[in-house]
Amino acid sequence: MLVLVAALITVPVALASERHPSLAELEGEVMCPVCGTTLDQSSSPAAQQIKRVIARRIAAGDTKSEIENRLVAEYGEAILAAPRHKGFGLLAWWLPVAGILAAAAALGIGAWRWSRRGEPEAQEPVLDPSLERRLDDELARWET
Amino acid sequence: MTRTVRLTAQALAVALVVGLLALLVWRVAHDSKNDVAQALNAGEHPSAPNFDLPRLDGVGRFQLASVRGKKPIVLDFWASWCTPCIHESKRLEAALRQYGDRVEFIGVDTKDYSSDARHWQRKHGITYPSVHDGSGQVLNRWGGLPIPRIFFVDRTGKVVGELQAEEDLPRYLRQIAAS
Repeated sequence: MLVLVAALITVPVALASERHPSLAELEGEVMCPVCGTTLDQSSSPAAQQIKRVIARRIAAGDTKSEIENRLVAEYGEAILAAPRHKGFGLLAWWLPVAGILAAAAALGIGAWRWSRRGEPEAQEPVLDPSLERRLDDELARWET
Repeated sequence: MTRTVRLTAQALAVALVVGLLALLVWRVAHDSKNDVAQALNAGEHPSAPNFDLPRLDGVGRFQLASVRGKKPIVLDFWASWCTPCIHESKRLEAALRQYGDRVEFIGVDTKDYSSDARHWQRKHGITYPSVHDGSGQVLNRWGGLPIPRIFFVDRTGKVVGELQAEEDLPRYLRQIAAS
């Protein structure tokens, strides 16, 4: 239910952002090629140039994907602050999740095995053979 | 069974650690600066590294190897957002008129938006051909930022120097033209 509500809220927002991206939004998702920060953190001439390009493309009616594709074609994948949700970029998104799941599974199995090792196993009490003989004698005498 | 599982898990863990170490070594080895500018600073004259980039005018690609070792080369790394590049590119354009028949002038437009770069060339009257190095990978191989960076390659394909001061331009041009 919670997932459905979240989807109902986020999907239209994502669609609107895809069709009508804002400059401010893209400035936080595109890197400045000479400063190692996103565009919104930089006022270098190279960053200003890309901001102007984005503004021009938004005015021309490009979608967010079209603008990103254009920038990637010009500057390479490194121009995007985060890897894209397709192709090789998917690995960057899902590998950490797989790692966390694998670590959680390993921890769970380890904890389960450790807790089982702590339990004392039910064992027959072992008596010294001489004591056992003496106990048998005593019991036999008591019964008679 | 338990022993097999434990041994497999240990082998996987060791393989993972070895893999990560190998990745670290590879990364450190590739991070080590062995670019052209550094080799020149160390007094070496390395062979000009080849590149294969699209032409800025959009007509096909250009490989440095197609002229390296046949003709002296002036290699100019520039971008349309780089203000000092205007001055240096105009000086190269003037030199092109004197040495254009003996020396190949090639611009490398780097970390730049190609349509802005073409507009910049027209605006400043730069006529020597340029290639587009949008990601800056070729620039990094030659020494990285800042730009402008101008290198001189002699007829044998060796990089003889990089422009550091105004007077270097006529000196290096004479040197490579005579090579």
